[in-house]
Amino acid sequence: MDYDPEKGYVALLGWSLNAVEAAAKFDRRYVVVAPDWAEEYCAQHDIPYLAWNFERLNDRSMEIAEQLQEMGVDVAIPLYEETVEWAGAINSVLLDNPRLLGQAMLMRDKSLMKRRAQLGGIRVGIFEEAHDREDVIRFLRRVNQTLLKLDGDPNDPIHFKAFDKAGCLGHRVIRTPDDVDSIPEDEFPALMESHLDGWEFAVEAWVHEGKIRFLNISEYVSLGYSVYVPASPELESYREQITRQVEKLIKTFDIEFGFIHPEYFVTSDGEMYFGEVAYRPPGFKVFELLERVYGFNAYQGMILAFDPKTTTEEIEAFFPREVVDAKGHAGCFGVYPRLRVVSRLEIPEETENHPYFESHELTAPMEETVTKRTAFGTHWGLVYFVGEDPKELHQLLKRQEELDYYI
Amino acid sequence: MAVARLDDALAVLADSLEFAKPARVQRVLDAARRVLLSKDGCSAIEARAEAIEEAGLFAGSDWDSPQSLVPSLTQHSLTSADANVVVIEAISELRLLAVARGRYRHPVVSAEQAHHYLAQVLATNLTLLFTPPGEAQRVGQGRLAGIAQSVLEHLADGIGFEHIVDYLIDEIWRILQQRPIQTGPVRQMITQIAICQANPAIDLGSSGQGADRLISSLFGPTQASREDPGVDIYRERLQHMDTGALQMEAGGCARAMHDTGLVSAYHAVLIRHLLTQGDHLLAEALGLSSTGRDCLLCYRDLVHVLVEKAISPHTTQAIYGLALMLERGILYQQPLAPALWRQLNLHLCPQARQRLAASFGEAVAPEVRLLEGVLCILGQPLGVGQGNNPTCQSARALSMWAYNDPDYLLQMVAWAARDDEIIMHFEGQTISSRQVGEGLAATAPLDLDAVSALVVPHLDRIYAEMGRQCSGREGDPHRWVNPEFHGWWSGRGFRINVDVASGQIVDLGDFLRHFYASYHPFHNGNQPLIHPQPAGIAVTDSSARFVGWHAITILRVALDPQQVMRVFFYNPNNDSGQDWGNEVVVSTAGNGERYGESSLPFEQFASRLYIFHYDPLEHGELASVSAEELEQVAEHMKSSWAEGRWSESTAWNLLAEPD
Repeated sequence: MDYDPEKGYVALLGWSLNAVEAAAKFDRRYVVVAPDWAEEYCAQHDIPYLAWNFERLNDRSMEIAEQLQEMGVDVAIPLYEETVEWAGAINSVLLDNPRLLGQAMLMRDKSLMKRRAQLGGIRVGIFEEAHDREDVIRFLRRVNQTLLKLDGDPNDPIHFKAFDKAGCLGHRVIRTPDDVDSIPEDEFPALMESHLDGWEFAVEAWVHEGKIRFLNISEYVSLGYSVYVPASPELESYREQITRQVEKLIKTFDIEFGFIHPEYFVTSDGEMYFGEVAYRPPGFKVFELLERVYGFNAYQGMILAFDPKTTTEEIEAFFPREVVDAKGHAGCFGVYPRLRVVSRLEIPEETENHPYFESHELTAPMEETVTKRTAFGTHWGLVYFVGEDPKELHQLLKRQEELDYYI
Repeated sequence: MAVARLDDALAVLADSLEFAKPARVQRVLDAARRVLLSKDGCSAIEARAEAIEEAGLFAGSDWDSPQSLVPSLTQHSLTSADANVVVIEAISELRLLAVARGRYRHPVVSAEQAHHYLAQVLATNLTLLFTPPGEAQRVGQGRLAGIAQSVLEHLADGIGFEHIVDYLIDEIWRILQQRPIQTGPVRQMITQIAICQANPAIDLGSSGQGADRLISSLFGPTQASREDPGVDIYRERLQHMDTGALQMEAGGCARAMHDTGLVSAYHAVLIRHLLTQGDHLLAEALGLSSTGRDCLLCYRDLVHVLVEKAISPHTTQAIYGLALMLERGILYQQPLAPALWRQLNLHLCPQARQRLAASFGEAVAPEVRLLEGVLCILGQPLGVGQGNNPTCQSARALSMWAYNDPDYLLQMVAWAARDDEIIMHFEGQTISSRQVGEGLAATAPLDLDAVSALVVPHLDRIYAEMGRQCSGREGDPHRWVNPEFHGWWSGRGFRINVDVASGQIVDLGDFLRHFYASYHPFHNGNQPLIHPQPAGIAVTDSSARFVGWHAITILRVALDPQQVMRVFFYNPNNDSGQDWGNEVVVSTAGNGERYGESSLPFEQFASRLYIFHYDPLEHGELASVSAEELEQVAEHMKSSWAEGRWSESTAWNLLAEPD
């Protein structure tokens, strides 16, 4: 699509085929900033491209910012956790707002993030930083003491999250000192949190002029396995409260524009606890699920939310009405092989025959032996479902956990 | 419901940008799989065939070039354990059914081509069609097995269920009348029919009667092999036969072979047995006429060694090649017998062995495979096919040499097989197949006869290099490349009726007058064509739409039994019986064609011709060609491939005054 010269020029940080396609079909000029392995592909398909290897921020960070500024780029959009701080650094130059870098650094450090939230009066669980395994054991013991557990009672688990890893990567549940031993060295330092019994969910919020322009609630069926949108009516009944929480978050983190993806717990007494927040698209293809049910392209929504030249009318017209405009519910399930030795992929018959089943992106196994799953590791691919009834979808997603896809 | 999902998924695929399509394909395949498993699913897919292809489902896969799909491969894809392979194959077949039924005008496949293709698909999958999935298939495929069967049934319904087998038999005969060197696909189809006939659970009704000759030629050509006893028992039986009985066997084998061009394994056993029984019986078993018999007796030792080395139940077609080679009398050409002795003792380089093993497996030694190939190409020069490769020029050259200059061909084979290098000359410059860049075929072709498999990669590279050396010259490079590449006998006179730069028709009057004056016996002093000449045609499909440029050989021009002047030519395509639209239907039998020849009435042929060579010193009477004749050809052109290339001001510029 031809771009509108009156609108902004955006840089996508990181490689995502879906994001690139969304940009290519949208009315904004764009450039993909990605490592050099993407160069050939971009050249082949006429995708505007700038090579950059996103390592840690360093002395050369200004270079890319200046390069983009010279090209006339208005704003940088992070697509991955690793590019969030880059976007902050670049946007602080492009938008002449040094605070943006600090804001991005907050997003990249789970411990700082939590403290900031706490300062803003947002409820969080008990948390502490861990620099070595000793710290973890002590925290595990202390939390369970607080809960008045006796020796021999099963421990309440704690959550262990590497500081700077995205989503489920580096997220472990620790119950015993043995679990502590299995944490690799490179996951320290990390954030530890008490376990909250409750309903965990995530929010995707597009923010423009400091206001929420679209808010989606993603319901987890089982963390790390499955998610669906829009959430069930039960969870949606908290929408008012959730919106207030997200507004508080926006204020606390001083977010003027862009896209945030926070996670929360609702405990049985209706109390809302903040988990963490990311300044990038969520994993588990939630954007694709949203497009499936609402019909709008979430990446294009992101481009609108970031572009300083977007008008209020434009962004309001872009998004549909939350929940009521959704055609059914869409969910996906991340498949992990359940057997230790597998030889082939076979979608379970009951799954394949279920009217809600839509598609999958699983491939045949490359190796016969399945590596033991660490943390909430990487799934082998997603299976997609779409249907009218959220209850049915919920049960269907839950049921998948008991089925063998690889046999 | 399932169909609605498919339509959604298709819309998404159609709407995505080229580079993002691969990521959208899976959803379409998943949706299509469900549709295929549902009632009337096949019809639903067939109805969407055009939309599916346009959405880009096949992009980047082999199915994207339906014109080069190989029917026999469907046997594997339809029974694959990979759901995606089964589904995409099924969709592709249903798409071609839509094409065959005229519901989808495909840019590169005509309805007839689709029809032929599907008939062959059905033939190779007959058992799958008529029997419920076997245990092995069920275990491997699970529910997918149902898809293969329902698709085949749908195809059979579409093509006419009751006539399938009869139609297949006609197809097989039609192909056999062209006497291809490669008989693998035909053998496979006949075997399928035989299996179905032998299975009491399958009721073929009254159809399939005409298959007897085909099946018996492979599995029971004679009295003593009638019930297909196996080669060991047959060999045993031969031991106890007297001359009279052996003569019966020899006659039976020879008749089966010459009727069909197919050779049974029993025939190989018999021939080897007869080596010790006298040349009279050997000649009988080869079905030789007096010419062939005479040749056999003259070159007795050579023939015996050839039989010993080349003929076995695994290399039966060598018998047919040998018989036809003897019949052609080419052994009387001085260099040929010594060249064959060289071939018998030729040591193959590792690359050549590897290439042959890749194409034919290792059951038979590569030397033997090659020897069989050599006998076949010498016996059936017009049986060479290009396979599914863009190498029509190389296939044409091989055929032309086998036809016209067989010892040169043997020289090429020796160079390629022994040295892995062929050197040719272009205007004094040496061109080595080792030192030049890529040819037209991106990968080594695997679907060719043994000689082609070895030699074509070299020729392909050399041909491409000759073309490169002409880059920058004004006009069409074939003018210089063809004579240098094919041989001195390719005329240095050259005419083309297409302007290379603009693609417009030019100089048509001059072009056609020269063609008539050089080739048409009524205008060239009744001179039969002396040497085969390379020519270029504009291939059109059955709707007379332009498909592409193609290399052929003009072999002879003569009156057919109905007193129509016809051009007889060789087409390196694997199946030359093609409908080129507007009633221009290439005939391969029944109009005076010899095996492997194609033919068209002279003016119809002229209407598809765009390049030819001639001897400028021998041209006939340009002026004797009437304007009406030319006008007729021009009309044929204008209504087919020349549409859109025609401008009255330039097309005819030399018509008025022949030079």
